[in-house]
Amino acid sequence: MTQLVLFDAFNGLIVGAFYALMALGLSLILNLSGVINFAHGGFLALGGYFAYTLIPYLGFWGALICAPFLVAVLGVIVERLLICRLYGRDPLYGLLLTFGLAFIFEDGTRTIWGAQSLPYQVPGWLLSPLSSAYFFLTGYRLFMVLIVAIAVVAMFLILNHTKIGIRIRAGTLDLETVSVLGVNVRMLRSLNFGLGVYLAGLAGVLAVGQLGLQPTIGGSLIMPSFVAIIVGGLGSLPGTLLGGLLIGVASGITTVFWPSATEAVIYVMMALVLMVRPRGLLGEEGRF
Amino acid sequence: MSNDGINAPVRRRAILKAGLALGAVQVASPFVVKSLADEPVKIGLDNPLTGTYAALGKNELIGCKLALDQINAKGGILGRKVDLLVEDSTSGDAGTAVEKARKLIDRDKVDFLVGNINSALAAAIANVAYEKSVFMVDPGGHTDPITGTNCHWDVFRVCNTTQMEANAVASTLIKTAGKKWYYITPDYAFGHTLQAGLEKACTKLGGTKIGGDLTPLGTTDFSSYLIKAQAANPDVIIFLVAGDDAVNALKQAVQFGLDKKYHLAGAQQELEVLLGLPPEARIGTWVFEWYWNQPNVPHVAEFVADIRKHSGGHVPTARTWFGYAALWTCALAAQQAKSLDAVKMAKAMQGFKLPPEVSLMPDGAFYRAAQNQLIPDLYVGNAQQAPKGGDPEDLFKVTEIVKGIDAAGPLEDTGCKMTWPT
Repeated sequence: MTQLVLFDAFNGLIVGAFYALMALGLSLILNLSGVINFAHGGFLALGGYFAYTLIPYLGFWGALICAPFLVAVLGVIVERLLICRLYGRDPLYGLLLTFGLAFIFEDGTRTIWGAQSLPYQVPGWLLSPLSSAYFFLTGYRLFMVLIVAIAVVAMFLILNHTKIGIRIRAGTLDLETVSVLGVNVRMLRSLNFGLGVYLAGLAGVLAVGQLGLQPTIGGSLIMPSFVAIIVGGLGSLPGTLLGGLLIGVASGITTVFWPSATEAVIYVMMALVLMVRPRGLLGEEGRF
Repeated sequence: MSNDGINAPVRRRAILKAGLALGAVQVASPFVVKSLADEPVKIGLDNPLTGTYAALGKNELIGCKLALDQINAKGGILGRKVDLLVEDSTSGDAGTAVEKARKLIDRDKVDFLVGNINSALAAAIANVAYEKSVFMVDPGGHTDPITGTNCHWDVFRVCNTTQMEANAVASTLIKTAGKKWYYITPDYAFGHTLQAGLEKACTKLGGTKIGGDLTPLGTTDFSSYLIKAQAANPDVIIFLVAGDDAVNALKQAVQFGLDKKYHLAGAQQELEVLLGLPPEARIGTWVFEWYWNQPNVPHVAEFVADIRKHSGGHVPTARTWFGYAALWTCALAAQQAKSLDAVKMAKAMQGFKLPPEVSLMPDGAFYRAAQNQLIPDLYVGNAQQAPKGGDPEDLFKVTEIVKGIDAAGPLEDTGCKMTWPT
């Protein structure tokens, strides 16, 4: 039993890292632009479909690098054409727009690539189980965690050590002052949206290595990401990372004792956090 | 306010509201596959076109459309042309499916109702059809009560019951793979009844259940369940998950190397799932409810060729055949009864044998009287990688054809007690 719990806790960390990757993208957009991006799952699905389409031309690695960039470019276009018109309005406007976009993305992918799940192939050497006796770890899962870790570290480096990153963080705290100081807020928001959506695209490319590639793939992964943000704390990127990992582990351990509640447990966690510490585990007091 | 306007604050409450909004989806009006007649007979299809079961729904629709063309080409139903009214039931929202069924019956005045892939939705709209006394065919919702404890005089079913699928595969598995079974089962009506059926069939043959997990519908990560399955050290891991869940579960089981240690198997398997898997994950022993590669069965080759014309060159799946047989059932019922009166049609279909060009299987298929369940052949075999030089969609090797009547068990066991209107 102890072994099973340890297995599942470890496995939960891996799954949680993936949730965190999605949630970080959502959180970035939410913090700076105030948009609750319901189309995030749609961008994730597009990442998978772009990769599937690019693999015959660029190979697995080329697709891994290019597909998220394409998603980011599309994200910036969507932000410039549609989302930017709603800045400053009630967040529900942005929510409704992105909610609609999510359906457009789902039906769009269904129209272009079909409703049928598509077989997505990753290199054979990544598929071999590394250890099924002690860690139950596959090469692909380790690879996923590695990519997530690189993406997260890169993102924190960008946010803390580059001019653009510092402006994004400053804008998160006080956009008005940043604007008054002469920063081009319009471009800052576009870049930030592109960065957030890039993370969704990357999550999509990674997800289809172990999930079926179908138009609904984004929808099934989006809710845990929202929960991760609320548990971790609105406005806090480290909190979002922590939230993602925590719900992954909680869900994993629940499998040992009550398998059919693995999905429900993350919402119970969210409810508990909201009751005991409404701003989330690492959320800033008074900000939300 | 300018586009660069400073944000209105996002409150936690707004995000929680957003979550609630996810459930509030309305669907557009039906689209109608129209014929040329003035007073057409109407068949309403209330089946998923979006969501998890969209691919299966699309294939059932393709089968329906081919049948519609053939029925109209042969003079329609009772000399009247036939229209097919298609509604998106969604993949999992029973409220929407029921609302669409009521709309088709009350507003569009359909003569027949066809649906639904999701067992729970099929059961829900079957109750509407019963309440309104409309002749209904369930093409692909498998849960047993629809033609068992909740059977209705006017509700017929094309696909098998879960118990039939379980009975068909159980003896093969016991013989070839072993007696200790571990179940990975989706946590809803279809999964529950399928597991119960397999447990029953397995116990009868001397096998045992050494463990199992119920997985929420839409599970993406199966690793925790697979860890438990491995810890139990079974002979066979039984996957009862369907659709996208099955793709995820099998893909991950193979990545963990479980296929090297245990026999992977299940009851129902679908070509749509195998097509979505990478080649190395096309493994395991399963039941197919219909298969396209039957070189010695009359009319199958023509059917496959016709479907390819409607599907962009793809072969028909069991779902395509379900849709095809469901629509033909409506036409044949009217033809047999020489009437569109639901009671007369339902009575005419008791024990009715489908003609070979519709049944498309070696031993034919008939609707068992007093249950309204189609009793067809079942195809037991193994998933395979597409043979070199063969059709890339030939992903199943049939090893045994089980006669439906052998898998169906006695009528009394189904629990169906039908009450006819007086």
